[in-house]
Amino acid sequence: MKTELNKLNPMARRDFMMRTAQTALGVTVMPALNLRAAGSTGPGTPGFGKAKNVIFLWMGGGMTHIDTWDPKTGSTKGPTDPIKAKGGIDYLGGTMEKMAAVSDKITIVRSMSSKTGVHESGTYIMKTGYEPRGTIVHPNLGAWASHFLGRIKGVTLPDSVVVNSGSAYPGAGFFPPALSPIPISNPETGLQNIRPTTSDGQFQKRISLMDEFDSAFRKKFQSEEVKAYTEFYDETMKLMKSEDLKAFDLSQESAATREKFGRNQFGQGALLARRLVQSGVRFVEVQSGGWDMHNNIDQALGTTTANMDSVFAALIEDLASNGLLESTLVVMGSEFGRTPDINENEGRDHYPLAYSTVFAGGGVKAGFVYGATDKDGRRVTDKQVTPQDFQATIGHAMGLPVDEVVMSPSNRPFTVGDKGVPVLDIFA
Amino acid sequence: MKRTHKLLSSLLIPALFTGLALAEPRTWTDVQGRQVTASFVSLEGDQITLQTADGNLHRFPVSNLSAEDQTLAKKLTAAAPASAPAADGQPAYMANATVAKAASTIDTLVAKGLVRANPERVKAGKQPITSFNAPCTDEQFVRRVYLDIVGRIPTHDEAQAFFANAAKDKRAKLIDMLLDSPGYNSHMFNYIAEMLRVKDRLDGGNNIRGIPYINWLQKQIESNTAWDKMVYEMLTATGKMWHNGAAGYLLRDAGMPLDNLANTLAVFLGTDVACAQCHDHPFSDWTQHQFFEMASFFGATSTRYRPVRARRGDDSMMGGDMGNKLMADIESIIEKNGMDITRLRNGIQQYIGANRYAITDTETNTIKLPHDYKYPDAKPGDSVAPKFITWSKEDKNLPAYKQKTKVEEDLRVSFATWATHPTNPRFAMAIANRMWARAFGVGVANIVTNIDDPNQSSNPELLKHLAEEMKRVKFSLKDFMRIIYNTRAYQSEATTEAIAMGEPYYFQGPQLRRLTAEQAWDSFMTLVLGEPDKYKKPLEDLYSRAIDLDLSNPKLDAQTVLMKYEAYRNMEAKERALMGGSLASAGEDMMMEGKKAKGKDSKGGSDMMENASLAYGGMVLRRAAELEQPARPGHFLIEFGQSPRNLIDGSSKVGSVPQVLMMMNGQAQEMLTNRDSLLFRTMEKVKSPSEKVEALFVSVLSRRPTMVEKDIAKRALSAGDEGYSNMIWALINTREFIFLQ
Repeated sequence: MKTELNKLNPMARRDFMMRTAQTALGVTVMPALNLRAAGSTGPGTPGFGKAKNVIFLWMGGGMTHIDTWDPKTGSTKGPTDPIKAKGGIDYLGGTMEKMAAVSDKITIVRSMSSKTGVHESGTYIMKTGYEPRGTIVHPNLGAWASHFLGRIKGVTLPDSVVVNSGSAYPGAGFFPPALSPIPISNPETGLQNIRPTTSDGQFQKRISLMDEFDSAFRKKFQSEEVKAYTEFYDETMKLMKSEDLKAFDLSQESAATREKFGRNQFGQGALLARRLVQSGVRFVEVQSGGWDMHNNIDQALGTTTANMDSVFAALIEDLASNGLLESTLVVMGSEFGRTPDINENEGRDHYPLAYSTVFAGGGVKAGFVYGATDKDGRRVTDKQVTPQDFQATIGHAMGLPVDEVVMSPSNRPFTVGDKGVPVLDIFA
Repeated sequence: MKRTHKLLSSLLIPALFTGLALAEPRTWTDVQGRQVTASFVSLEGDQITLQTADGNLHRFPVSNLSAEDQTLAKKLTAAAPASAPAADGQPAYMANATVAKAASTIDTLVAKGLVRANPERVKAGKQPITSFNAPCTDEQFVRRVYLDIVGRIPTHDEAQAFFANAAKDKRAKLIDMLLDSPGYNSHMFNYIAEMLRVKDRLDGGNNIRGIPYINWLQKQIESNTAWDKMVYEMLTATGKMWHNGAAGYLLRDAGMPLDNLANTLAVFLGTDVACAQCHDHPFSDWTQHQFFEMASFFGATSTRYRPVRARRGDDSMMGGDMGNKLMADIESIIEKNGMDITRLRNGIQQYIGANRYAITDTETNTIKLPHDYKYPDAKPGDSVAPKFITWSKEDKNLPAYKQKTKVEEDLRVSFATWATHPTNPRFAMAIANRMWARAFGVGVANIVTNIDDPNQSSNPELLKHLAEEMKRVKFSLKDFMRIIYNTRAYQSEATTEAIAMGEPYYFQGPQLRRLTAEQAWDSFMTLVLGEPDKYKKPLEDLYSRAIDLDLSNPKLDAQTVLMKYEAYRNMEAKERALMGGSLASAGEDMMMEGKKAKGKDSKGGSDMMENASLAYGGMVLRRAAELEQPARPGHFLIEFGQSPRNLIDGSSKVGSVPQVLMMMNGQAQEMLTNRDSLLFRTMEKVKSPSEKVEALFVSVLSRRPTMVEKDIAKRALSAGDEGYSNMIWALINTREFIFLQ
């Protein structure tokens, strides 16, 4: 226990309090158990802790790998021909001209393989590293980072934000709800309702009335759920008074920048992510959808891929020109790939056996392909990467002790990425 | 053995059962030697009350009993705590004898479970449970049953009427009344829609909407269609959704039959085999092969319209798919009229495409093992014969399993018959456990989608009994809920001790629950509209009429398609206007009870206005079940955790900063703290400040204020109108308001 306390020394008092609270809640930290061979992660290993921030671009629905990051020319080729890309990257899907122009800044992992072809569990496993269970909710990387690294110093903004979603699920998982990312439904409106509808004086009166009327109930029901709500109220009031709120205001950006990202939810969401990262928010997930292309993939691909292409490219260029790309890891992921064979409805179905993820910035190699699939995109032929490895790799880049076992309140052991192994080869 | 049993019961009766007012029936003898089997309820003064097995209560002078029984009655009274329900004259009195008896049987099983749980609790360092929680007060009860049965808080008048009612059976009567009110349908729909992932706009675009399915579900709930019948219809429906709403169940997952099956098993049979879709289940016994044997029942079913020709091998044009042929004609008409085909093509193709969403059964079973099948019992690509799963070795002898599995076109019917059969080992249990979880906050088997082994549940005996009860009431969810709401267990105070996730729970009372998003929104609607059930969604079936094309009709021509497409687009525009577009922005000031709305009526527009919704700011003021399913991002419902309808039971009950911001500064609170709100008008009906305070508390929290609260409130109200709106704001922002105890 003494060593545990020593570890806390450099931390601000607030973080210490948080850790104490977590211990009181039963989330205890166990020392590293040498889960992995020495040198596979931790300080001094390639890429460790290089990513101060993460922007996680989520392609909901199951992004077709063959039409985007792992194009094929044989019998499984989609509606378009692959195009030549830059840097160490050979080809990209035919409609991805903008990414082809900046592909010398990215690493593609073409050897992802997972076991579940269901949207819900596939999404869950890619975001937490764990299979969904009815008995526990696992934390996402933003919550893991808050747990290990503490709250961000000097800002009242949340540690993590999920953009384009009404819900942060799976959010804080078994950690205290205060570690939940903040969901932003619409980047245009940002943090809605941030100003009181009355004068400050009247607002204060309302707050104290609320506390007085509620005191008996809060005393009677001292459950975690009720306490968490009270914490949310406290935190929200702090945020309402904060100067940092400008980070949520897209109108502070020039019209040209906003156009460049594209006037759609995904584009503006990515721009918001950049603003948040700039202001210190550690983990931002930006959600996009439309990839569940069971029918008429030709038609479906047109708009969805073009939009992904231009938003992703705009984000990389913007981060690079603002000097943020070195410290910001951009990751693109999806719950699975899509079947190499076109189905009877001219679409592609769910395909977890082989798919791709993309990394950029944050200490990752520029213009690099890791792993490969066979000529039809059916099987991983080289360097398979699981969703667990994927999670552990991001955690490693963020400087998280991915081999440290944390016990949940229900006394079950968990690690960042469920014992996955960080893919060190992708780091420069 | 007999001696042990006697010893046990003599220990248990005074220690537990009387405390619970659950005295086991015994034989009572009167002075004349006549005997009756009844349970002890109470002894007040010289009057004893006994309850016979039919639920009837008998009150008579205790001196009529034999001396021995008189002594026992006194002992039982002494053993009962002061808060025993009988002393309050509350829950023991039932309006309906059968229901009373059924409820009391359940209570006995719950009580036994509590006793059984104690050794484990003591081991875990917790206090043993010696009785149910204290009976809930009328104030707690009225708020709870309104929220649980009709999905909203009671209005001020409804709560006051209940408090003023002195009838002994008023709780049972209120339960009956609420179960038969429109609010029940609305609230039950929210539950089922969340469970079945019901969406207005289905994935994949193509103009395919869930509206006819939603309407069908609402109609079934309204007529209390038996659950087994409802599920059977959904599993066996054919054709397009707008010809048979039940088809929406399979079309919801068009193109994803394996996902649909995994969800079917999880929802209807409480069996989680999703893992087995890709590999043998890691924890349970399900194998991937078994999963595909189940999938085989749907292997001859297609969710995409197939021309009859292709099925019968008939070469004539009869019944072909006209869609593709028509497109060429349509394009030339459009071009002739000088319009830009590139701007219209997608829309028209999608319009036609929606008509290809139809369920048909064919003669060929296409189910095959996946190409990565890795187990030795079969090879990848092998076809798989249909076979029902079993949960125990004896299952296969049950009548449910006597189904034909030979004729391809009947496979789905066989599956549905098996799945919904009373002797299916999980069907009744799964829905009974779910309904129980609705009332108590957690199921007897705590994971409702995975009742792996009923014997591992917190109370196996209770779980099995609930399944039997579900069959006995012939799968009437309403009748089943009626029994549960009448139990002593349900009518107890909410448990205050913290319960960790996954920890077994024994139902000493309901758990404290945060309101669902729908309950919170519908309660806001109650505060602003009074009785919100009057406000229904408009445009019942315009979609169904506008979208339908008969692609098998060889006479279908391009001109007709274009005319219908035009009508469809008009319908969409009209719908947008009514769903909160232009009308909402015209409604910046509140349109209360339709007065202003009617005033704005213009000639010819009256139809539309009658159906139009009241609105405040951008919010359409209707119950959640009457709004788009699910609500759009940013809506109160979504911020409050409404399920996005991708996952079974996918809602969230966790707070968030945006949610709290909305409660503190959003439009919904503005609407309630506004001087024109119904709350203000309720207060205007009474004169004195203290009556006004009481009116507010009863309106928002369904309870009277305490003395301390009255003092605080009076000080706050000295600020006039501002004071009132501060009070309203404060009350709707309490934890007490968003939690249900």
